[in-house]
Amino acid sequence: MFGMKKILPGFAPPLKFSYDAVLIGGGLHNLATAWFLAREQNMNSVAIIEKNYIGYGGAGRNTAIVRANQRTRENIPLYKEALDLWPVMTRELDFNLMFYNCGNVNLLHSEAAVKAARVNVATARLMGVESHLLDAAETQKRVPALNLSHQITHPVHGAMYHPPGGIVRHDAVVWGLARGAAENGVHIHQQTEALGIETENGKVTGVRTSAGTIATPRVLVSAGGYSAGLIYHMLGIKLPISVLTIQAMVTQPLKPLLNHVVSSGAYHVYANQTLKGEIATGAHMDPWPNYTTQTTAGYIKHQAEALIELLPCLAGVKFMRSWAGLADMTPDMAPIMDGNDPVEGLFMNCGWGYFGFKSCTAAGRHMARFVATDQCPDRLKPFTLRRFENHRLMGETAALVNYTPDN
Amino acid sequence: MSLLIQCPICGRRNGYEFRYGGEDKGPYPDGPSISPAQWYDYVHANTCRAGVVREWWCHRQGCGLWFTLFRDTGTNVQVSAPEGEQ
Repeated sequence: MFGMKKILPGFAPPLKFSYDAVLIGGGLHNLATAWFLAREQNMNSVAIIEKNYIGYGGAGRNTAIVRANQRTRENIPLYKEALDLWPVMTRELDFNLMFYNCGNVNLLHSEAAVKAARVNVATARLMGVESHLLDAAETQKRVPALNLSHQITHPVHGAMYHPPGGIVRHDAVVWGLARGAAENGVHIHQQTEALGIETENGKVTGVRTSAGTIATPRVLVSAGGYSAGLIYHMLGIKLPISVLTIQAMVTQPLKPLLNHVVSSGAYHVYANQTLKGEIATGAHMDPWPNYTTQTTAGYIKHQAEALIELLPCLAGVKFMRSWAGLADMTPDMAPIMDGNDPVEGLFMNCGWGYFGFKSCTAAGRHMARFVATDQCPDRLKPFTLRRFENHRLMGETAALVNYTPDN
Repeated sequence: MSLLIQCPICGRRNGYEFRYGGEDKGPYPDGPSISPAQWYDYVHANTCRAGVVREWWCHRQGCGLWFTLFRDTGTNVQVSAPEGEQ
């Protein structure tokens, strides 16, 4: 059923000898970039090279949560733009992305967390993002099933409430963008592996793939958790990335009980109720890098224990499926979007950690501008790779919920 | 994530007793004039290779020893040293 030779529907044009741009990775960031290249930059000779099938990686493995309550002034506008784009993309793609802006509730479990949230809320408001601080009673009004008892491991002190966030059907975004890109002339080559990037005098000249060599002056590598390994393998450039596994699972469908995305840093748990009724929930990251995407019984046990403390009504509910995806973590929890440095014609868009889904539309739009014009848009300038060498790391690690490769 | 690690002192133990300490990048850069690029290379840069990587680990919940080992990140299994390495 999941054989590698399965015939994939649609999007199978013949591989051309040359393209204006080749995008390595058939995930959301490249699908969005390709769509914006075709629609806004009038660049139609674009190929997407995907080793498996579109949406195989993080695009289809995330828990579909979108929000714009990041910490720093460089990051918040990018995520806000992405959040504002969901209704626009739904219309432009003529595809129901099932955006449900139910709002996010970040639980706070200590006085220190409440103070940190106060700063976070103030920053968000300054940047024009709606965000509120709730006390424990107000939190329970928002989430009636929540356990306010002081007898649990981490009692709830309050919450940061971010109304414009919510959930989006991630598969629909993959299908909508792929269909939209293909209609605008983008070639999507699935089951085609990128084997190498050819350079001459410090300039990109082509891409070697399992289906033949393509001549191109521009390559964008945006292959989620596989990006850093690919860039090192193909060009010998090392990135400040650790690739960690993050696990997620869904329960059997239930009647509506969660009106918001609920997350807790102390419990390492986030949960939302999908439009089908399942509770989709995720865990903290595996503590060492690996590419297996294996799931483990220990995490299912941890999720069950944490969820039952916070939402006791879930006791006895069964998990139906669990899976894992790769998150490429940078030391400052902010992505790397860069181009023409150190190789002319090489662009990269990676290091998103577990924020790649919520940002894909805005990142794709700006990367499309960058690739088409060779001019780095102002919004992407802080995300240069050189910031690590220059000790200009961003402050995103001060955000409320974060797991770095080191903890 | 099941992983068994061979500690040089305590023997084969559950991976969760250990702390991952990053890819092995050779000796600590020492000297009067180390460039920002060299520091970047030592502090942040990783190969992220899906395959056999030499890594630092610490037996945090055991003897506390820091040591290097070889692990295949594609299969998440500790392996013996590749030929030519020790």
